[in-house]
Amino acid sequence: MILLESHSVIINDVLTDRFEKASRADIQFVDYDNVRFHLSTPETKSKILLSMGIQCWPDLLKYGAREYLQNEYQQYLLPQEQTEPEYDVSLMIDLEQLPESVEDRNSLISKLSHLKSVAMSSPFLSAFQEQSNLQAGYKDAGGAQQKDFTSEQSAETKGELKIIRYREEEAIYIQASNDRVTVVFSTVFKEETDKVFGRVFLQEFVDARKLNALQNAPQVRYSNREPPLEIRHLPGLHNGEDWGYVTFVLFPRHFSNPTQAQSTINRIQLFRDYLHYHIKCSKAYMHSRMRYRVAEFLKILNRAKPEVATAEKKTASGRTFRTR
Amino acid sequence: MSRQAPLVIDNGTGYTKMGFAGNSEPSFVFPTVIATHQSASSGSSNTSAGSGARAPPPIAGKPSHLASKRGIEDLDFFIGDEAVANSKTYSLHYPIRHGQIENWDHMERFWEQCIFKYLRAEPEDHYVLLTEPPLNPPENRENTAEIMFESFNVQGLYIAVQAVLALAASWTSSKVNERTLTGVVIDSGDGVTHTIPVAEGYVIGSSIKHIPIAGRDITYFVQQLLRDRGESAQIPPEDQLRVAEKIKEDYTYVCQDIVKEFKKYDSDPYKYFARFAGEHSVTGRKYDLDVGYERFLAPEIFFNPEIYSSDFLTPLPEVVDTVIQTSPIDVRRGLYKNIVLSGGSTMFKDFGKRLQRDVKAIVDGRIAGSEEKSGSHLKSSGVEVNVISHKRQRYAVWYGGSLMASTPEFYNVSHSRVDYEEYGPSLVRRFSVFGSAV
Repeated sequence: MILLESHSVIINDVLTDRFEKASRADIQFVDYDNVRFHLSTPETKSKILLSMGIQCWPDLLKYGAREYLQNEYQQYLLPQEQTEPEYDVSLMIDLEQLPESVEDRNSLISKLSHLKSVAMSSPFLSAFQEQSNLQAGYKDAGGAQQKDFTSEQSAETKGELKIIRYREEEAIYIQASNDRVTVVFSTVFKEETDKVFGRVFLQEFVDARKLNALQNAPQVRYSNREPPLEIRHLPGLHNGEDWGYVTFVLFPRHFSNPTQAQSTINRIQLFRDYLHYHIKCSKAYMHSRMRYRVAEFLKILNRAKPEVATAEKKTASGRTFRTR
Repeated sequence: MSRQAPLVIDNGTGYTKMGFAGNSEPSFVFPTVIATHQSASSGSSNTSAGSGARAPPPIAGKPSHLASKRGIEDLDFFIGDEAVANSKTYSLHYPIRHGQIENWDHMERFWEQCIFKYLRAEPEDHYVLLTEPPLNPPENRENTAEIMFESFNVQGLYIAVQAVLALAASWTSSKVNERTLTGVVIDSGDGVTHTIPVAEGYVIGSSIKHIPIAGRDITYFVQQLLRDRGESAQIPPEDQLRVAEKIKEDYTYVCQDIVKEFKKYDSDPYKYFARFAGEHSVTGRKYDLDVGYERFLAPEIFFNPEIYSSDFLTPLPEVVDTVIQTSPIDVRRGLYKNIVLSGGSTMFKDFGKRLQRDVKAIVDGRIAGSEEKSGSHLKSSGVEVNVISHKRQRYAVWYGGSLMASTPEFYNVSHSRVDYEEYGPSLVRRFSVFGSAV
């Protein structure tokens, strides 16, 4: 497994099971980045309530998450007042009013299991939208004063900087400008070794881009200690040894059509988890190499046992022992 | 921000049960198996399963480019049901044997995917509860702690003994009125049955007994009975084991008197014989068969093993009695009072009732004998025998873990990251019993 999947396996499994046969449920589980889920049947067996609590909800709300969820889940989404206490979003699925065909049901299950990634994608989508607006505006302005280089330089317009505080100390910063969308992740490494692995791993991204096949991949930059220029003006940024900033530069070709945009979003929002997953995998790999080495060294050590000297033993009178 | 629910992972020889604390059922139950790819570059065949011959970890093939120099072969594997599905092109490994972890490389990768693919949790944010079999060597615990703290950076870790968790799970039964960690656990899964005495949260290692009869044997026995009666002619050969398993799960029960039960069946077969309806998985041909004596004979092999096997002849109640009799004398009363069932093969109807009756008969017989020997001068006040069965028996160990990890006390008894950094892996050798403060 190289990429993490964007859907929740538990939601997928439980709903597939319940769509076949209704039964009681009361399950609490989590997803990456401090997301809590609660799947329950509060009234009857046939009515499943799926609630999600997500840490960055206030941020997401600012960028139109509610409207976007409404658009995606339509009749399933419960209004704000009916949302389960302690959670941010609630969906109600009535098992007696499911779509008839198998394909529709499966697509509904898959849509529901993507709840977290859908909720997280609204700021990205609004940034993509903003970028296309800016690009249109920029072209007009650029056409009017084509010769004037100085004004063209300053005409590079930037959209609003969107901040999603998706974990306690870490955040995603998204900024649209006329020709690209910049996404910056701040991430903190709790351990010394993680930092080293993280740096080596991110260096791979830079190297990988030199391959011909990967020329179209978004540009990735990594800066340790110091935040990148895009967000340096923000107050309260950490710049210690433990902090790392990863910058992605997305060009319009990465989100030109809706399916591509969605897959870009799914990948990019899991980036932090992807990074930490691979750090852990690398450590596991190192450990298995180390175990192998130790086993090899032990073999050598076992071979190196001194041979027992079998000297002839004699008594004082010069007779030898004979072993029978 | 409230703390996130601890992860509860119970790695058994056959199946891994995992989920989040506070739930009543594990979110995932799948075989403890990992399917890895034998990479072409390592070349040599390494099919030998022995622990001595260890294959080198996969390394990438010939490097041509800087970026392709580092391979990703170590990520090319599946676990659980997906591993079984891919067994044609990958080779399967069972990292746990007899309850103990044998191959740490595989186990580390197994955990990797358990946590990241299935539970979808960032281990840095969670506490983890793992289980271990009784008599697990401390080196194994240290290795486990090392992996959990160093590879996964978990916030905290608690390694619990399976039998103790099964005792904790029995607290849900209405028959239990005091929460004690003293009792005998009868843990019967697919491969083997253990009887484990536990005194105040500590396993009495010297008295543990194993019984080589468990779920798989019962299935074979049902299959054999069907074949003897000629019923299996109806079943397609490839489905026979599955049908036998289904019959075992759906129709069997434990009878109180085997002779009476036979008479009952013979006098009115229509009332007691059940019908099993099946369908051929390929051709769709329907078939049905009679389910007869195997309904009560199948679980009977625990109580009269001679009907199934010729080398193990001690009935379960007798084993339980021996286990308690070899334990220290001051805990015996507590052990008789709290005999707890755990695992899928103890789920038969009235299993607990029959076991309780038989153990009681042995105990009462012994008391009567010693009263007689004393010349009727001494009178015993009697020994209370209680067998506890409850709703969560099937995943009792996991459920007990979920129960314990959802108490606030869990955070006090588990080993935290700070402690680990202070003391190192030897930290987990010290083991604080849960519920000792209850």
